[in-house]
Amino acid sequence: MSQHKETIKHDFEPNIVAFVCNWCTYTGADLAGTSRLKYEPNVRIIRLPCTGRIDYNLLLKAFESGADGVLVSGCHPNDCHYNLGNFHARRRFTVFRQLLDFVGIDIRRIQFAWVSAAEGAKWAQLVTQVTNEVRELGPFTNYKRISELSFPYKELEPEPLEEVTA
Amino acid sequence: METLQNIAQGLLERGDVSMVIGYTPGTIPGKTKTIFARTPEAAQKLTFNENCVNNLSIYLTRQYGNIGEKPVALVVKACDARTVNVLIQENQLKREQVYLIAVPCNGVKDEHGVEQGKCKSCAQRVPKDYDALAGETPAPVEIDPTLRFKALEQFDAMSPDERWEFWMKEFEKCVKCYACRQACPLCYCERCITDKTTPRWIEPDTSTAANLSWHITRAFHLAGRCIGCGECERACHQNIPLGLLNRKMAKEVFDNFGYRAGESAEAKPVFADFRYDDKEEFIR
Amino acid sequence: MARIGVFVCHCGENIGRTVDCSVVAKESAKLRDVVYSVDYKYMCSDPGQIMVKDAIKKHNLTGVVIASCSPLMHEKTFRRAVQETELSPFLCEMANIREQCSWVHEDKVLATKKAVDLVRLMVEKVKRNTPLEPIRIPVTKRALVIGGGIAGIQAALDIADGNQEVVMVEKSPSIGGHMAQLSETFPTLDCSQCILTPKMVSANSHKNIKLYTYTEVESVTGYIGNFDVTLRKKARYVDDSICSGCGICQEKCPQKKISSEFNTGLGKRPAIYIPFPQAVPNIPVIDKERCTYFKNGKCKACEKFCDRNAIKFDQTDEFINIKVGAIVVATGYEMYNIGKNNKNGIKGYGEYGCGEDPDIIDSLQFERLLSASGPTFGEVKRPSDGKVPETVVFLQCVGSRDKAKGMEYCSKICCMYTAKHTMLYKHKVHHGQAFVFYLDIRAGGKNYDEFVRRAIEEDGAIYLRGRVSKIYREGDKLIVKGADTLSGSQVEIAADLVVLATAITAQPDIVPLAQKLGVGYDKYHFLSEAHPKLKPVETNSAGIFLAGACQAPKDIPESVAQASAAAAKVLGLCSATELEREPYVAKVYESTCAGCGFCIEACPYKAIDNKAIVNRQGKLIKNVAYINQGLCQGCGTCLSVCRSKSIDLAGFTDEQIFSEINSLFV
Repeated sequence: MSQHKETIKHDFEPNIVAFVCNWCTYTGADLAGTSRLKYEPNVRIIRLPCTGRIDYNLLLKAFESGADGVLVSGCHPNDCHYNLGNFHARRRFTVFRQLLDFVGIDIRRIQFAWVSAAEGAKWAQLVTQVTNEVRELGPFTNYKRISELSFPYKELEPEPLEEVTA
Repeated sequence: METLQNIAQGLLERGDVSMVIGYTPGTIPGKTKTIFARTPEAAQKLTFNENCVNNLSIYLTRQYGNIGEKPVALVVKACDARTVNVLIQENQLKREQVYLIAVPCNGVKDEHGVEQGKCKSCAQRVPKDYDALAGETPAPVEIDPTLRFKALEQFDAMSPDERWEFWMKEFEKCVKCYACRQACPLCYCERCITDKTTPRWIEPDTSTAANLSWHITRAFHLAGRCIGCGECERACHQNIPLGLLNRKMAKEVFDNFGYRAGESAEAKPVFADFRYDDKEEFIR
Repeated sequence: MARIGVFVCHCGENIGRTVDCSVVAKESAKLRDVVYSVDYKYMCSDPGQIMVKDAIKKHNLTGVVIASCSPLMHEKTFRRAVQETELSPFLCEMANIREQCSWVHEDKVLATKKAVDLVRLMVEKVKRNTPLEPIRIPVTKRALVIGGGIAGIQAALDIADGNQEVVMVEKSPSIGGHMAQLSETFPTLDCSQCILTPKMVSANSHKNIKLYTYTEVESVTGYIGNFDVTLRKKARYVDDSICSGCGICQEKCPQKKISSEFNTGLGKRPAIYIPFPQAVPNIPVIDKERCTYFKNGKCKACEKFCDRNAIKFDQTDEFINIKVGAIVVATGYEMYNIGKNNKNGIKGYGEYGCGEDPDIIDSLQFERLLSASGPTFGEVKRPSDGKVPETVVFLQCVGSRDKAKGMEYCSKICCMYTAKHTMLYKHKVHHGQAFVFYLDIRAGGKNYDEFVRRAIEEDGAIYLRGRVSKIYREGDKLIVKGADTLSGSQVEIAADLVVLATAITAQPDIVPLAQKLGVGYDKYHFLSEAHPKLKPVETNSAGIFLAGACQAPKDIPESVAQASAAAAKVLGLCSATELEREPYVAKVYESTCAGCGFCIEACPYKAIDNKAIVNRQGKLIKNVAYINQGLCQGCGTCLSVCRSKSIDLAGFTDEQIFSEINSLFV
């Protein structure tokens, strides 16, 4: 077995969410495990049947919930278990990431990949790469900032009610 | 040459249509209002001028209940006719349910007399497809079609953070009155996603974050569908430049898939379709 | 109020080594609605499963999360266990803390933290699970076997003998595959044709088998139990219902110099031909590219001489639609070609002259030289001048195990057939000498190693361990320069013939077929099984099975064994009248659907239709989408194109995914 590696301590550990399809990437991620490949532990996988099921609002919600980076991965074109789901997804993502870019979200924080069931090594490499890239970008604070500053009424202390005396 | 009134009168006299939806002079100078002419007499009140900015195709959507057994006649500018195409593409309407009275248009102005952005880059004087033309076929004009994306260029020079600052300043103003949605002829959903509570994908409050969520949703739901009539932006009393978001989506759809919304009523909607060789440079 | 139980598995040391399972259990207990949590050595074991079942009863659990291996591994196991209680099996979810956590991370603290997160996600999901009813679907009791080699034939025969109908398709004019080309087979040296031909004949005559040769699979739709397959029966230009196979057309055809595919280019055939004498069916086919009539519009010699008027120059491709319940893929392999233009796009061997010298042949060509029905009628004569070669050099691992050629795998059968070649050669050319360059001798198998020893000890083959660096011609001889790594010396052999044991590669046109079938493939384009150990015959597409070398290099006994295994799977499938399918299907909320039709256009299965909602007077109120649950496969593409979110997908509902995302970071 490989010798124990020193874990490098970083100042910042990004939260990465991966939305993956069940048939290719989830299976590929399983293969990475069966092959005992090592990758960064920052990723949390959400399993869906197909990239076709991955709508934009899942990705948006991930950022809202505090993700620093989002990864979307499914079957290579023509390999989709449902034949066409990934083609539809590809179209949507093409435009959606441009929209995020347009409103000023750094689109290096949202990555797309094709990882087949046989590509355990690609998955391991991908997760590590994306984690490192997002770590480099630092925490994604944009959302936190706008959620805070737009609640001016939060800052106001409720005025104590005057005691009503008879 | 037939006038708008004559066409409408004929249609109503013969009983070809149940009503003619068009413009009539309003009470405020520089503004027109919508008329639903059901009698030949009422047809005389129809008018068309540069103040006819509204996109009347919204009255064809189901919520207004105007479409009955008989077709409805609609006065359309070239841009409005594109909306009708989208409604037909999306099964909201059958072509035979609407009688299109095309009006030659040289650009329209809002109530403040400001020429609309969409008109500056519009080379289409009459719709591609119509049933009757009120007036004469105008001489074609040449306008660089990429002009419609000109306004987006300012963003290219900005960094993501600058764009973020720009938009957050805009979205901060939003009070979620949903006028943009109500004004949009393509926001015909029976129940908007923002009103869905299980689950609540878009928070209902008016924090900037929740506003961003709404505006991203609105823009993305209109991507590949919006024909750029500008009604949303006109309806926004907070003056959020919603048209820029729509135009950005139109540009991406056009650049990536060569698709322009509303060009044809027969085309498959761009996001209900795909090509095997769609570009995918961004996918790892 | 949900009452969730969390069961954390150590998987022996597999999870426990990197994830602190007791911490995971303790942390899980703190989650809202979790009323019971426990960790245990082997959750999937009998006591483990009993633990789950007891806890469900004792704590009135409304949902269960098993934190262990991948759901692809044991979801069925645990759901079955849950089903034995009152609880619906669909109220059991798995948190994958082995394949996607303990096995891929090293830091115990971080891995444990991740495991806790994964459990929390699944707790949130399972709270929103609903008891679903499995969907029952009818089974078409007919199987399709793709490929007519030994694996396909065996599978078809076994299924047919099990009293189920089989449709067998073969893309070439005859069944038989590569095995029909072989001379004798290891390790018993029985004649390949003699053991294969009877099987070919029974495949053609079996009452339950419908054979289509010169036919390819055009399209496949549907799902397990209910595949709709379109076959393209390519135009043979011969009416197979009339032709008697007399062969007069072959004799009269003026084109006689076409290189024969069956004889690997070592023999010739006419433009109208039966590929080999024992072909099944014994019906010729016209090679349109080379036929004089098709090229010049004149000739028709075959038509003139055919006394049955079976030649049909106007025949066109025919499309046949069939319904089947199961599919066996047995499409076999192709030999790697060292030439410059390889079909698979792999580089050739310049150091071996890219195979341009006629006396550098591959093993399959050597089989034809050895075969009694081959171009030399079994006499070993070299292609260039017909001389009997007195020195033959065999090279193993040509392409195989060669990273530079992109084929890191072992082709498995070459060691054995090369040993066989040296023996057969010696039996035919008594004074000849065989040399073998090998890397390792892999002779695992019943009587296999003994066989190789016999080649060396009794038939005097000289085995040299090393690679050959160059082969070049010097007059009459081929100079083979190589290394003998055992003696540490350079060897130079003047050979008359060189035989290359080239790699077994996937069929060059397998990828489009795999895509039609929805079957995965690896980087070498060999088809992927559902599980390398426990599901070696199944694919990830339910109802589609693999047999033979389309999956990986295999010898005849292995191919036959797998074919019979696939047949057993098919028969098992066909023994039921109905199948249960996971009810992960989409449904429409009609009240909010605006009927825009995006989902109808986007559905890969055409499972969605328009439905008119009318009032009591029959007046149309609106159109909405309607999903045919039998056709829906649960991909969820419709959901994403639905702007108003009027569609939901059971098992992966919006609420479930939403709550997973929401509970990601707390």
